[in-house]
Amino acid sequence: MPRLFPRLPLMTAQARRLSRWLFAVATTTLPAAALAASCPGADPEALKWLDRMSRSSHQAAYHGVVTLQRGEDMQVMQISHSVSGDTTSEQLTKLTGQGARIVREDHPLDCVHTGHRLLQLGAALGAGECGVAEYYRFDVSEGERIAGRQAVRIRVEPLDMYRYGYLMELDRETGLLLKSSTLGRGDLVLERFQFANLSYGSPMPSGADVEVTHEAAHPLPDSAMSTEDLHSGWSVQWLPRGFVLTEADPATRSGRRTFTDGLAAFSVFLEPLSREIRAGEGIAREGSTLSYTRGLSLSDQPVLVTVIGEVPVNTARMVADSVRWAQ
Amino acid sequence: MTERMRESLSALMDGEADELELERVLKQIGEDGELRATWVRYHAVQAVIGKQAVPDLSIDISAGVRDAIAQPATTGSRRWQGLLRPVAGFAVAASVATTVVLGGQQLASLNGSPATAEADVAMGMAPVGLVNSLGATSVRASFGTQSVPVLQPATGTAYSELARQRMQRFAQEHAEQAALNTPQGMLPFARVQRITE
Repeated sequence: MPRLFPRLPLMTAQARRLSRWLFAVATTTLPAAALAASCPGADPEALKWLDRMSRSSHQAAYHGVVTLQRGEDMQVMQISHSVSGDTTSEQLTKLTGQGARIVREDHPLDCVHTGHRLLQLGAALGAGECGVAEYYRFDVSEGERIAGRQAVRIRVEPLDMYRYGYLMELDRETGLLLKSSTLGRGDLVLERFQFANLSYGSPMPSGADVEVTHEAAHPLPDSAMSTEDLHSGWSVQWLPRGFVLTEADPATRSGRRTFTDGLAAFSVFLEPLSREIRAGEGIAREGSTLSYTRGLSLSDQPVLVTVIGEVPVNTARMVADSVRWAQ
Repeated sequence: MTERMRESLSALMDGEADELELERVLKQIGEDGELRATWVRYHAVQAVIGKQAVPDLSIDISAGVRDAIAQPATTGSRRWQGLLRPVAGFAVAASVATTVVLGGQQLASLNGSPATAEADVAMGMAPVGLVNSLGATSVRASFGTQSVPVLQPATGTAYSELARQRMQRFAQEHAEQAALNTPQGMLPFARVQRITE
């Protein structure tokens, strides 16, 4: 819709005014767009950087060593991303702990998933669209040197209490995300990942011992949840602003739904139980990842709802609270 | 070990300890040998009474407990804290409780009660998770054609254990989605403790 005006160069000034007015009327009926009209926190420079970051992660060819720190635990891994023709392949090899490798081959270059689409505002920016700026505030400043590259720092602060903040450092030349800290309440660092070294271009030579190789699914991995267990469809009735389904049309019988706001993601799993269990809730945490499990009865059917993702516990609780069978 | 501590420990075993009592016990358990011994004894008794199978988990309890205590201390005072206080309280209590459950299991198994085959099933990929731990009783229930144990959580600690099991089971499936929809590329897979094919 934002491209409406450039595509109609022959309109008179009056027609343009009229269509602009119609556009405004049409968009105010959408709550998201209505808020877009007032997004003073939107920093166009930050949004441009996010757009670049999202594109470069998919389109650039690079490899390097990355560290992931969560509490006392530090993991080291190799990451490589290569482009050949109009597809990309990527690989992550764990160098510490479990010798595991995750591979994704033949990912089409023009395949942009929901989360990235939310960051790649492009032309929509000029049309008053705020995108992620509706639920985060951004602050761009000079970054440090990371893996030998000069970085741009983007401080990302959530505007509500349903998501975490981030401190991101992007390669000033390519936009690639070099370092990212996930910040909880009081700027407590929940997780930090960072490139230790980075090379653009040639694919990485690989010599690491690997016990397990996992082929990352694309586009849709099969759910581990057996679909026969679900006798009817279900949905999540409440979501924090900006979170949308990662798959446009999830199979109604699938036991999982995943949502993203472009920066964070969480998945909701529904398991029907064959017996009543005492209602209750519990959580487990690893770094920025939360697992929130709740036992309840949905229209007399006992179920376990589990929310797993990089979101605060209040988000998980509200979401789990709103799971309903489809009518 | 003081009488107060014994009471707190007892409340903890019954799943009725409040956050303060939890903290009190956990702060002491690292230093107090008598407290540790009592905890082991309580768990052994509970394991015998409940005929509970105990999986052999080699986890350093005291380090885990210290971490659990260290965390809330680092949050400091910030503007959200007042607002989020009840939530934070829940989070801290739950994470500490998880540690206690694991610790309990380990202590009990150290005491000579061997892990049974049923416990092995329980720690695996049962459609509905099972924990034989503090406050949980296992019941048999049919789930499709398979007969699998179902958890009957009696306390919040059992739910924390369930949440931990769900995390292990679903983390990779979540990572698949996160890797395609968040800015860090394949990194979400690094958050999965054990990658499976």
